[in-house]
Amino acid sequence: MNYRSGWLLAGMLLAPALAIAAEWPNGDEIARRINARDEGVAVTRNLDMRMTDRHGKTRTRETRAFRKYYGDEKRTLIIYLKPRNVKGTAFLTWDYPDADKDDDQWLYLPAMRKVRRISASDRGDYFLGTDLSYEEIKLESRVAIDDYRRKTIGEDEVDGHHCYVVESIPVDAKIARELGYAKVEQCVDSEIWMVRRARFWDTHGKPLKTAYFRDIRRVQGIWTQHRIEVENHKSGHKTLFLFSDVDYAAGVPDNRFSRNALKRGL
Amino acid sequence: MTDESLKMTRAWRVFWWITAFPKRVILLGLVLMLGSGVFIPSLVKDTRSDAFLPDDEPALVYRDKVKQIFGLSDPMVVAVLNDGPRGVFNPHTLALVDWLTREIAKLENVDPDRITSLATENDIRGDAEGMRVEPFWEDAPPSTQQQADAVRAAVMDFPLYLGSLVAANGGGTLIVAEVADQARAQQLYQDLLALAGRAPVGPGEVIHVAGEGAVSGYMGSYIDADAQRLNPLAAIIITTVLFIAFRTPRGALLPNLVVLATVAAALGLMAAFGVRFFVITNGLLPVLIGIAVADSIHIFSQYYEEQARHPGDDARVIVVRAMTRLWRPISMTTLTTLAGFFGLYLASVMPPMKYFGLFAMVGVSAAWVYSVSVLPAWLSLLKLRPSPAYRLAPKSDTQRVDAFGRAMTAFGRGVVRWPGLVLGLAAVVGVVGIHGAAHLELNEMRIRVFQRDEPIVRADHAINARFDGVYYLDILVETPEPEDIFAPANLRRIEALQAYLETLPHVGGSTSVVDYLKQMNRSLNAGRADAHALPEDKDLIAQYFLLYSASGDPDDFQEEVDYDYRLANVRVSMDSGKYTDEKLVVESAQDYIDRHFNAPGIGATLSGRVNVDYHWIKRLGETNWGSVGLALLMVWLMASLAFRSLLAGVVTVLPVTLTVLLVYAVMAFNGIWLSIGTSMFAAIAIGLGVDFAVHTVERLEVLLRDERLSLDESIVALFPSTGRALLFNFLALALGFGVLATSKVVVLQEFGAIVALAVTVSFLSSLTLLPAIAKVFQPRFLGCDKSAPPARANPEAMP
Repeated sequence: MNYRSGWLLAGMLLAPALAIAAEWPNGDEIARRINARDEGVAVTRNLDMRMTDRHGKTRTRETRAFRKYYGDEKRTLIIYLKPRNVKGTAFLTWDYPDADKDDDQWLYLPAMRKVRRISASDRGDYFLGTDLSYEEIKLESRVAIDDYRRKTIGEDEVDGHHCYVVESIPVDAKIARELGYAKVEQCVDSEIWMVRRARFWDTHGKPLKTAYFRDIRRVQGIWTQHRIEVENHKSGHKTLFLFSDVDYAAGVPDNRFSRNALKRGL
Repeated sequence: MTDESLKMTRAWRVFWWITAFPKRVILLGLVLMLGSGVFIPSLVKDTRSDAFLPDDEPALVYRDKVKQIFGLSDPMVVAVLNDGPRGVFNPHTLALVDWLTREIAKLENVDPDRITSLATENDIRGDAEGMRVEPFWEDAPPSTQQQADAVRAAVMDFPLYLGSLVAANGGGTLIVAEVADQARAQQLYQDLLALAGRAPVGPGEVIHVAGEGAVSGYMGSYIDADAQRLNPLAAIIITTVLFIAFRTPRGALLPNLVVLATVAAALGLMAAFGVRFFVITNGLLPVLIGIAVADSIHIFSQYYEEQARHPGDDARVIVVRAMTRLWRPISMTTLTTLAGFFGLYLASVMPPMKYFGLFAMVGVSAAWVYSVSVLPAWLSLLKLRPSPAYRLAPKSDTQRVDAFGRAMTAFGRGVVRWPGLVLGLAAVVGVVGIHGAAHLELNEMRIRVFQRDEPIVRADHAINARFDGVYYLDILVETPEPEDIFAPANLRRIEALQAYLETLPHVGGSTSVVDYLKQMNRSLNAGRADAHALPEDKDLIAQYFLLYSASGDPDDFQEEVDYDYRLANVRVSMDSGKYTDEKLVVESAQDYIDRHFNAPGIGATLSGRVNVDYHWIKRLGETNWGSVGLALLMVWLMASLAFRSLLAGVVTVLPVTLTVLLVYAVMAFNGIWLSIGTSMFAAIAIGLGVDFAVHTVERLEVLLRDERLSLDESIVALFPSTGRALLFNFLALALGFGVLATSKVVVLQEFGAIVALAVTVSFLSSLTLLPAIAKVFQPRFLGCDKSAPPARANPEAMP
């Protein structure tokens, strides 16, 4: 093969790939579209968390959850309904948009009849014994724009829906350590701009967990996920989040998110 | 027996037939040897101490259960010590702990999520508003002394970590890493040592690597390496003994062929049947070498004697004559040795010892087959060359013996002259032996395997002196329903159990979910010291765990409770791995559990390394006497059958019985424990030592009955021929095992020294006690005719 025909061949091989790549929206564009989705100002819903350890033993928690945005600030209240021995336990979080300001968290323990402030969690900490981190719970179906550098690396299909595959790498080692990931790969639905599958690698670069976001349907005009399945590949631990009775319209009174209201229960 | 009558025997015909096709016999022998030898490379080493217990042993089953549920087994323990005024709580040492923790997490065979250190554990702290669960440091270890002091204050205020994670005086802290695959612990131990070697250690800082994971990991290879160095040395020494005995190349080399064939058969079959090579299998090699060489020594002695007596005969006739005279004692010793190892096989419950007995039997059989086939076939092919050690006296047809033969003759005369003294001495040895054996101490301490200056021994001492200890007894608490562990009554039971255990000697401390609950209760009561107690409300306990999960990891309590709160583990730390110390704790704990803990709705089972060790050493003690007794019984039965006299059996077994008793006495008086290494000696000593007695009795019988010599003449005639052969047989064995006494491994040293001593005692007692008995009691089975007047004692009768 002479010099010129070599270039020609390389060009022929690369051209289709470049052409396809050119059709994909870039990673930042996809992230922007995800975050542009309507999530409603306030929502009430039931949230069941079913956790299974690697031996197949399960813990089931049934809760009622409330969430409301105050501009960029977000307040969340989770009240436990079952099992009986934690019934009435309530968990309140105020998440501030300013990264330097620690979030406030309180827990009400009915057996003590006292509200306790608990230390602000790190973003990478696991949320109440589940396989999602506080950061993921906080973001819900959104993504953190500034934490990652993104690249669209392909296309895929999840549960029959066409997706773009976006690879996200934390911008620096400190962020990576905070989040607990060296890499995240998300499959983003190309029509409704919701993540349908996310894969995570730990800071050592080993596969950590995979999450599927399923049963996505419109509720009061808002695309809403009703089922999240997460499996931790290292510990063998799994969590199933089930959302039901989702209501964006009813609204949530502001005093729901006060410390004093914690004791009141539902 | 005359030459003519010899030629009438069936044995003559058999050996005549064997030597008719010498090349085919040799070829067949070599093919079989290679055929079994090819399996040897597939032998799998199994140096785990768990291998000593049957897989279905309850102690192992529960240990594995605890490992499966709580992820706890025998961890590697890395200690960072600093005896400076601030202990480990200074920025440099804490940075070192942080560095080591991160580096250990990167090692293969370590579960990075199962590392416990100051850098991974959470502090549970209370303040006016609530509970804080936070690491002792976040991203980076403290950079100022002030921050380090804050860490110190936090750790010292957390009772659970004192003694377990941090030395009570602050002079040291541990990094505990669970091993993913115990079979590869050896490599991990080396990796950790390498890591310690390149760690940024500052002045005053010392790193130690220890823990059961390290000990079990290192022990196997430590013993293996040493045995691999010593076994070839034993072979060289035995070859040298052979050369001195016969002073011919064939006399030194052909027995080694039998050795090779014996080892190939035993190890090859082990490999072929998938039996693993255990730590104690190293002891099988000198046994096989000794057995293989013994038959050869007797055959060569006879072969050279025949040559000296019949210088004109051709090689085949000489060989067949020697074999015809010798096949009987050789076969008898083979049978009695087989019987001894069969006794070991029957009586052992521990797989490695059972297999030791079984494959020693394989080796004994192979040695016999090669000694009576390949060896004579090969000798019949070789041109006759007399041994300088065997020459005829110029004027008679009696043999002129070399210095060794003359020394043995003098020895024989002594026995004939003072038989009463010999019997009296034997009686004294017997009484002292029984007394000593009764005082034998059953004990074991694995760390003792290593020499005192080994890093692992120094690490063990340093860590156990400063911390609660790295020998773990686990107690598995079971309740019937999920969340039953939360019941305050159950938690109080666990608390009381721990309080009791901590009063026992060598128990440094214990950890369970109770300790965490107390700490949480205290945190939620504004950190008040008096609130370091169990909450009284089951719901509150459930809510504490939920509260904890708000800031802790989901798997933070996986080592203390199972996922649905039905099972709990109590880990008890001991600072001693000595059997007698473990025995006291295990038996006291079991007694407490039976009487005070177990109740409807809750039960506890002992588990963990300490319990496993306790069970198998206990079993060793229980089965030891049985296996010695059974081995003696089997040898007695076989000897009785071979000599067709029960009394002959008793007499034959007498020297090895005395040997075992004397060696036990020597052990007891020298404080040598009956342990894994030494427990094997008795069966080996019986199997090997009985040969001396069988050869002596058989030869006496032949001399008295066939050669029609008087009793005294027979006894004296016994020594320069059979006695001389037995001398070299004894030297080969004693020196072969003596080499092990120079081992670096204390267990092998003891084993080698004790077997060498046992062989010596067997040799001496067989050649003194048996002739003395013959002389004093003139037993009928030897062919002594009691009605005839006693033979004239004339030690000078022989030239």
